[in-house]
Amino acid sequence: MSTREEFRPLFHPTRIAVIGASTTSVSGGNRFIRNLKNFGYAGAIVPIHPKAEEIEGLRAYPSLADVPGEIDYAYVAVAAANAPGVVRNSGGKVRFAQVMSSGFSEVVGGGDLEADLVAAAREVGTRVIGPNCLGTYSPEARLTFTDKTTSEPGSIGVVCQSGGLGIDIIKRGQNRGLRYSGLVTIGNASDLGASELIEYFLEDDKTRTIGLYLESTREGRRLFDVLRRANARKPVVLLKGGRTSQGQRAAASHTGALAGSHSAWEALCRQTGTVLTDTLDEFLDVLMAMQCMDLRPSATSRVVLFGNGGGTSVLGTDAFDRAGFSVGAFADGTLAKLEALGLPAGSSIANPIDVPAGALQQNEGRVAENIISTIAASGAADAVIIHVNMTVILGFRHVDMLGNIIQAALRVRAEHGPGMHIVLVLK
Amino acid sequence: MSETLSEALHKARATGVEALDEPLGKSVLKSAGINVPRSVVVKAGDDVAAAVSDLRAPLALKVVATGVVHKSDVGGVKLNIQDAAAAADAASDLHEAMRKRGIEPEAWLFEEMAPRGVEVVVGGTMDPEFGPMIMVGLGGIFVEVLKDVAFRICPIRERDAREMLSELNGAAVLKGARGGEPANIDAIVDVLLRVGGDEGLLMQGAGELAEIDVNPLIVSKHAAVAVDARFILRKEKAINVHA
Repeated sequence: MSTREEFRPLFHPTRIAVIGASTTSVSGGNRFIRNLKNFGYAGAIVPIHPKAEEIEGLRAYPSLADVPGEIDYAYVAVAAANAPGVVRNSGGKVRFAQVMSSGFSEVVGGGDLEADLVAAAREVGTRVIGPNCLGTYSPEARLTFTDKTTSEPGSIGVVCQSGGLGIDIIKRGQNRGLRYSGLVTIGNASDLGASELIEYFLEDDKTRTIGLYLESTREGRRLFDVLRRANARKPVVLLKGGRTSQGQRAAASHTGALAGSHSAWEALCRQTGTVLTDTLDEFLDVLMAMQCMDLRPSATSRVVLFGNGGGTSVLGTDAFDRAGFSVGAFADGTLAKLEALGLPAGSSIANPIDVPAGALQQNEGRVAENIISTIAASGAADAVIIHVNMTVILGFRHVDMLGNIIQAALRVRAEHGPGMHIVLVLK
Repeated sequence: MSETLSEALHKARATGVEALDEPLGKSVLKSAGINVPRSVVVKAGDDVAAAVSDLRAPLALKVVATGVVHKSDVGGVKLNIQDAAAAADAASDLHEAMRKRGIEPEAWLFEEMAPRGVEVVVGGTMDPEFGPMIMVGLGGIFVEVLKDVAFRICPIRERDAREMLSELNGAAVLKGARGGEPANIDAIVDVLLRVGGDEGLLMQGAGELAEIDVNPLIVSKHAAVAVDARFILRKEKAINVHA
């Protein structure tokens, strides 16, 4: 079975069992069922309860073994001590059991219970996700573990060791326009680790970029092998928690595993082409860039900056220089073509190209298209960055300058193809 | 595992030591195709002058004694010995000095001194998550003070080895900064691969070794020579890299 088929029940479950929903209160299991219903999940939801006949208006069964048919995904939110028994007595019906409960190897003395959970899963042929996590998000299948998530599927697949941060990645990301093919919180990663999920996302056609939040790994060799074999054919972006010694201590109590030395993780990234990020915002920024841009076959090094605002141009040039890009002077031929455009007074056509907003408004801002098109035709740039100072541009109410710039960028991209990145920065 | 490495590890285990002594460590490097200085080992009390007669001066003398890992820290090294008679004198002086420190020398290691060059450090460690890792840095203050080193997870490929070197802040030193001769980069890359590559010592010894320290590797325009080597054995079970 291919990895993709193997993981289909997790990302596209047709029957979900919920262990830990209550008849008398609103527990995690109840909230999960409500979220699934609100999200429009179309498959069967089966609550498991020793006594109740019905929970959240759904027929309940006394145990997983009593449920007729296979269960693709079981949401397990019972006391930690009961979790191995739930898995062991499932009659081998469950493909994936995600155990949300805490109290395993992340706490002192919890290692044996976790080992027993994994042993139970192996006995019955179930894969365990977690424990100590929050759930799985698969918008296409309308599977979610929190409220107010978008059902619009996307191209970013995420493996997140932390549950709460998983919610941050979904919500903060979706508010900024990121759309996901899937997100799995793996918690202590007792059975299912990051590398198998990376293999799934590498195979999954809908996933174009893979994001990872990891604090530690128990399968470092496999992770190294999977990422190296992937040979960066899909971009992989890593937010590594616990890269400082104090952070390592925090991570050790969070995930129950000793967070590794940062040298090894940095080496991993260098050897596999993985993008290493330091903060949640930087992580989401890189994912956003990957979502918006088509990969070029060769490395991007030559950058042209174009926008309104001299100071921004200078800071932008500094930032690109620090990041190892070249914001180089134009060759004479390119310069002559830009001069021939006859840009209004106050414009600077060296790289960075700085055109004041007042000049950009001429011809309803179509001067932008001439500039981008000239650069694209010259082959002088791997990327052109158009930065627009919004507070200034939006002051020009009598023309749709912003709309014109956006349309110009789209037309040039359509005309010249993916040979040059066109990035529009509105701020 | 190469026979020399497995024999050396076996021998070390059998005698209960935690590290390979220098002659044994060098024989392991040599078997892996890494240049080591021509040398002889003379048992304490044997005729030094006769034993070193085939070596080309200047020579270095190092004490071999169980438990002495950092030889220079205990004054167990003498350099620039010009002939056989001086070698014999140096050995007897050192014998005296070691005894005063309570160290009983077992043997003397005499080596031809490597030609001048850039001092490079090649190290190997076992990361608890990723297993064998190789490190490279420039000797002296670059490693000790500036921590200017590059790490990779093993096995490395040639490209990794070259990137490690170019990543060093002091990389210009290898190219002959400040009027020095450029170091032979290919020779360093070769050593890195023999230590950290697919068939390298770290991959072969991953289950048994805790640490490898080739310090210094002296790299001239022509060659790289491992002038000192430490192999520390591990105490607990290792990550299986061949799963």
